[in-house]
Amino acid sequence: MTPAISVAGLTRNYRGQLAVDHATFDLEPRSITGLLGRNGAGKTTLMRILAGHEFASAGFVHVLGASPVEDEKVLRQMIFVREDQTYPYFKVRHALQAASCFYPNWSHELAGAMVTEFNLPLGRKVRKLSRGMRSALGIVIGLAARAEVTLFDEPYAGLDPVARQLFYDRLLAEYAEHPRTILLSTHLIDEAAGLLERVIVIDRGQIVLNADTDDLRGAATSVSGPAIAVAEFTADRPVWNTRRIASQASAVVAGTLDETDRARAAVLHLRLEPLTLQELVVHAAGSPPEIISPERTSA
Amino acid sequence: MSTWIKVARYQLTDRYIFVVSPWLILALDFLINLVIVASLPVGQHQVYVGALSAIYIVLLTSGALAIARQLPFALALGVSRRSFYAGSALLCVAIAAVYGLGLTVLQLIERGTGGWGLRMHFFRVQYLLAGPWYLTWLTSFVGLILMLAWGMWFGIVYRRWSLAGLLSFIAAQILVLAVVLAGIGVTHAWHGVGHFFTTLTIEGLTGLLAVAAVALLAGGYGTVRRLAV
Repeated sequence: MTPAISVAGLTRNYRGQLAVDHATFDLEPRSITGLLGRNGAGKTTLMRILAGHEFASAGFVHVLGASPVEDEKVLRQMIFVREDQTYPYFKVRHALQAASCFYPNWSHELAGAMVTEFNLPLGRKVRKLSRGMRSALGIVIGLAARAEVTLFDEPYAGLDPVARQLFYDRLLAEYAEHPRTILLSTHLIDEAAGLLERVIVIDRGQIVLNADTDDLRGAATSVSGPAIAVAEFTADRPVWNTRRIASQASAVVAGTLDETDRARAAVLHLRLEPLTLQELVVHAAGSPPEIISPERTSA
Repeated sequence: MSTWIKVARYQLTDRYIFVVSPWLILALDFLINLVIVASLPVGQHQVYVGALSAIYIVLLTSGALAIARQLPFALALGVSRRSFYAGSALLCVAIAAVYGLGLTVLQLIERGTGGWGLRMHFFRVQYLLAGPWYLTWLTSFVGLILMLAWGMWFGIVYRRWSLAGLLSFIAAQILVLAVVLAGIGVTHAWHGVGHFFTTLTIEGLTGLLAVAAVALLAGGYGTVRRLAV
């Protein structure tokens, strides 16, 4: 299958600063991918280039089989909801109206339902909305557009937990009914973990992890208990980090554990806890790429 | 093409930019002048006010706002820079044609009523808008496009290089003007220039303005193509 998004050696240089550094990855059509990374890691720049808003300094970007730069056919099938969106002096109603004009698959029904759920005031100027309300508007536009490629950059800044849950529910329901390629950047990793089929972690412009979330479950385990037992258990295993408090210790072991390992841990009175996606990402984003690369699953 | 029309409609969503501001300001401007002229001592002389320039200046800012305010969201909705610019330019041409016609009609009324009963020349401007109605329309049309296109270019420069770019752009225009004036001085060409402008017909001037408008539209297009948001 041709990838919906294909990026190779993508680099963006701002006066000597590499915002995106030789990024290479493919996204399958009809998938939900999380783009994760710290502030300033290059997530927004990467998405702006995918949307054709920014130009690459070097490398290759294809969206739906063609370069997105000024390609009417590709752009018509793409929407980019960004956290820092500058809106015209529009009322909420006008912003929705404008968006509905440009997307042939726009769902008035969905937009109406979500406006009610988020309590969006249709008659208020977008510029007068609170941060959370503006995010909600972006979400409504992003989902109701039903665009083949949907890019969400930090879509829920300032949204309360109830509204975020609404977003997750709507996103999944929409995706089930009208599958599309969704790339979502977020800091709330564990919250979004259930949605994501794949994660791409970017750090200082470089892709440091690109894996299916299923493969990442159990990719690393936290082992804790008596320090001697931890040391015994972790000997000959790749260990990411060890912490010790008095006679207790905890270590993160990379690789999956089998039944024998688990039985042995039980004998040694060790607690085993799989690392959450968030912990894995924190690890990936905080380490030099070579440490994580043995764990990397190729696309 | 249909995207261009959609962009034009998108541009009209905020009615203040293209519809309300120009006519509201022109109406206020007209009323103020009317009151002033009415309060002048009654005489036999014609009163020239020259306040029609307001609508041209407002449309310059309209062009700038149409880009500066409206462009980022349109791009987020998957509109290409090229379509956004083409659609906006198309709207500007249509607006210039319709508003030019509006100004022509108002000029005819002004003529018919003897300058609103006050011998006021508001919509009649000596030399520029003093010919037959179709020439008034043509000159207004070209003049309005010129201002809108110029404004759009300002808006694009602002979006692309923000305030520093905008100031440099203005400075560059002043510099070009200064160089041209200095060039005329150095080559002792003032006499020829003066002769050229005193013998220039309004048709000729309209043609020159049209060339300038096309140049400004081309300049805007050249600048918008590499604009990043």
